[in-house]
Amino acid sequence: MQFLAPWFLAGLAALAVPVLIHLINRERKTVVEFPSLMFLQRIPYKSVRRQRIRHLLLLVLRCLALALLVMAFTRPFFAKRATVLAGAGAKERVILVDRSWSMAYGDHWTKAVAAARAAMGDISGTDRATLVFFATEATAATEPTADHARVERALAAAKPGDAATRFGPAIKLAAQILEGSNLPRRDVVLISDFQRSAWTQQTDLRLPAGTHMSTVDVSEADAPDLAVTSASADRDASGGRDRITVAARLANTGAAAKDVPVTLAMAGRDAQTVHVTVPPHGSAQARFAAVTVPGGAVRGEVRIPHDKLANDDAWRFTVAADEAVKVLVVEPARARASQSLFLRRALAIGDQPTFDVEVKRADQLALGDLAGRSLVVLNEVPFPAGAVGARLRTLVEQGTGLLVAPGDAAGLDWPAPWTSLAAMRFGAVTDRTRDAGGAVASIDYSHPALELFAAPRSGDLGAARIFRWRALATRTDSGVLARFDDGAPALVERAVGKGKVLVWTSSLDDYWTDLPVQPVYLPFVHQLAAYAGRWSERRAWFTAGGTLDLSRHGELTAMFQKADGTMPPLVLTAPSGSRQRIAPDSLARPIQLDEAGFHELRAIDTPVGSGRPVAVNVDPAEADLSHVDPAEVVTMLTSPGGVAATSTIGGAPDENERQRGIWPWVMVMALMVLVGETVLGNRLARQT
Amino acid sequence: MTTASFLDPGVLARIGNLELLAKTVVEGFINGLHRSPHLGASTDFAEHRQYMPGDDIRRIDWRVYARTDRHYVKEFEADTNANLFTVLDVSRSMRYKGGGDDQPSAVSKLDYGCYLAASLAYFSSQQRDRVGLATIDGDVQEYVPCSAKHLQLTLHALQRASATAPGTDIKAERELLPPLRKLGESTRRRSIVVLISDLYEDPDAVMTALGHVRGKGNDLIVFHLLDRHELEFPFTEQSNFLDVETGARMPVIPDYLRAQYRALVKQHCDTLAKRSRDQRVDYALIDTSQPLDQALFTYLMSRQRMSRVR
Repeated sequence: MQFLAPWFLAGLAALAVPVLIHLINRERKTVVEFPSLMFLQRIPYKSVRRQRIRHLLLLVLRCLALALLVMAFTRPFFAKRATVLAGAGAKERVILVDRSWSMAYGDHWTKAVAAARAAMGDISGTDRATLVFFATEATAATEPTADHARVERALAAAKPGDAATRFGPAIKLAAQILEGSNLPRRDVVLISDFQRSAWTQQTDLRLPAGTHMSTVDVSEADAPDLAVTSASADRDASGGRDRITVAARLANTGAAAKDVPVTLAMAGRDAQTVHVTVPPHGSAQARFAAVTVPGGAVRGEVRIPHDKLANDDAWRFTVAADEAVKVLVVEPARARASQSLFLRRALAIGDQPTFDVEVKRADQLALGDLAGRSLVVLNEVPFPAGAVGARLRTLVEQGTGLLVAPGDAAGLDWPAPWTSLAAMRFGAVTDRTRDAGGAVASIDYSHPALELFAAPRSGDLGAARIFRWRALATRTDSGVLARFDDGAPALVERAVGKGKVLVWTSSLDDYWTDLPVQPVYLPFVHQLAAYAGRWSERRAWFTAGGTLDLSRHGELTAMFQKADGTMPPLVLTAPSGSRQRIAPDSLARPIQLDEAGFHELRAIDTPVGSGRPVAVNVDPAEADLSHVDPAEVVTMLTSPGGVAATSTIGGAPDENERQRGIWPWVMVMALMVLVGETVLGNRLARQT
Repeated sequence: MTTASFLDPGVLARIGNLELLAKTVVEGFINGLHRSPHLGASTDFAEHRQYMPGDDIRRIDWRVYARTDRHYVKEFEADTNANLFTVLDVSRSMRYKGGGDDQPSAVSKLDYGCYLAASLAYFSSQQRDRVGLATIDGDVQEYVPCSAKHLQLTLHALQRASATAPGTDIKAERELLPPLRKLGESTRRRSIVVLISDLYEDPDAVMTALGHVRGKGNDLIVFHLLDRHELEFPFTEQSNFLDVETGARMPVIPDYLRAQYRALVKQHCDTLAKRSRDQRVDYALIDTSQPLDQALFTYLMSRQRMSRVR
């Protein structure tokens, strides 16, 4: 039997009260003055009457009633033990131990380790057990084994990580291990704090039929926690000084409001501290005054004093100056007056990102004009020839974007080596001036460049009238992002090396279309330029347990790029000191971020501390310690109609108490005893 | 007002003047008698006795000598005045009064003793007896020698004894022996000695102390004053009982003790009565809730016996 509120057992000390009343020479308040105690003292009362318990049954009833009342207040319940596995023979057991960062709360990890040891208790002989640690990912810490020492070593070496809990990978790994086993009995022991955020119902997530599953819930009924769940930093570079304004959000899962000091540290130094009162089961915002910071990427941290769960008591971020997307617009030698006007004006309005636009006539284009460009726009000019063309081709292959609007240009031929573009040939001009123009009728909203317009009232490309466009023959539909109402391609994408080539088959000014005077024009060209120019939003932080794709975060690697466009080998150093080497040609390979804290990305030949900081925070969803019923998890994971049994070892005490609590019965017993005591007491009183 | 009401201690407690109180008691008591108890200095012949050397030759009855040729002396009744010497115990225990619902106008044992002593003194003074007083509390506290003129002194001493607060030394011995021995040694004439006390002492010790007075030829009357609560122990609630003499405390459940307590008190009183009879001491147990007439009758009987002086 276990108790939900065992501290009430201290109330059993009250049992001494009736005994003391009977036995001890208790000092009474009323004092009667009497002439002499000469006769009273001669009566052998003290040695006999006072120390003898009269009405023993009455005393027993009173003590029993008191004990039952105390028991009822402790809210006792019977924790069901795991049912014994049916059948005989050796068993294959998978012990899944949650090592997400929420397991660092209080003594959860200690209880989890103890439960894992207990799960190994009956493994012997031909039995096999596999210890699996899981958080966002699941890893088998041991091979299937009956060697207790080996499992013990793995348990001793393990500790909670910084990743969030996900049951899916762990269950899949357990199912894989069990399916590969030839032992007759198979079971899974899931040891976790059973956070609701960890459990997403997946119909395909099943343990093999016949698998017995038991759970060990190490969570507490009431687990108050105060966490910093996010921080935002606005950077203002106006006036020649970089000033940032930071605001952080704090969440309180406890039942009591908390008043805490919140400290902002910038570039490793404490800058400000503000006091914030966070309401119970609510959140509050901590706002800091603007802080002047040095240029470049700056480390920032918002922290609160440590509580039982320390991982979420700090939020880290980096603040870096915005870097503009450098755009080169090449227009014909005899360009129309407004040929690049609309494009230039639209890009000049850009904020995130900002665009640095330079317009060049095709006949004035030189090699130096291409240096450092993220995007080159060929506005109704053919692909440059000669050294400039070769250089442009190289840059595109290395990642520079290319936006082509053919218009009236003649001689639109792709460079010979670009086989991927060879199948794309420009044709005649389609004139729709007589029937009031065509329209963009089909758009691939799943494409990153166009997904912005998927939402209602977010810009309607179909509203623009397109009077003329140049036919573009493509062998496949692949890469066609938009089509006109006659089915002709309007926007086509092709990859060349690391670069992206976009072809808009009409004009970028109002020569062939009224698109430039439509509201959708500005976000449209912004999206095309940002996408082709490989701009990505600056991430102030990443999440532990997730991955980092450097190929999609040019802002992290831009500072390492050499003048010739090449990239040196990089090193990512984790807070614990562990390093990962990143080859220049494998930037697109995802890097696992296991640790929370500030990582450092630097070139391999540069000193430590000179690199770009990368902030990694724990998943704030993990700070939500709300609980899912382990029985629900077991029911969903075991095969319907199969022989899988469900049981719970331990479990959340409050849940167990709700299901198997016996306090109402104890209370009824106490009341019955009290009634009996009253009847007996009255009877004895009448006798005396 | 009835005769009995003159003797009710509850009524007497309202009379502030002790002389008036004594007069009220005595007159009320006497009015209730069928004959006058006043004996006076009579010269009535009692009997003849053979002359013994040392007898006053003036008391020889010469007529008898003429008839018988032998010397006889005449004896008369009450030809001398008696001494009434009252010994009043003023210890702390004497200040106890039970009270309660059944005894709303209770007086303390000390007050009752004062009324009694004053009444006896007044009564004796009316008989032209000499009156004296000693108050004792472990030792002689106040001493008024016997004299026909000491009624007022005696009454004042009683008034003070009643009004004076008890001493702070609650551990003092309350034995009767030291003061009674002292008083016995100081008594020169035969007297009627009246001891008014609650006698919270072992009977042997009490009788030893009384022996020092009785041994001088004094007639000794012992008024054993006890409150009704001391006799019946009517308490009901569990309480701490405090001995006012020694300061000792004792938790008591009265229901458990009442019967044994009563038996012990009765045994104590019976022992004192028996031992007193053996030593020719008049012993009277007085319940302070009762009128004073019992005490006065006891004295009267003793005084009558004393009047036959030989």
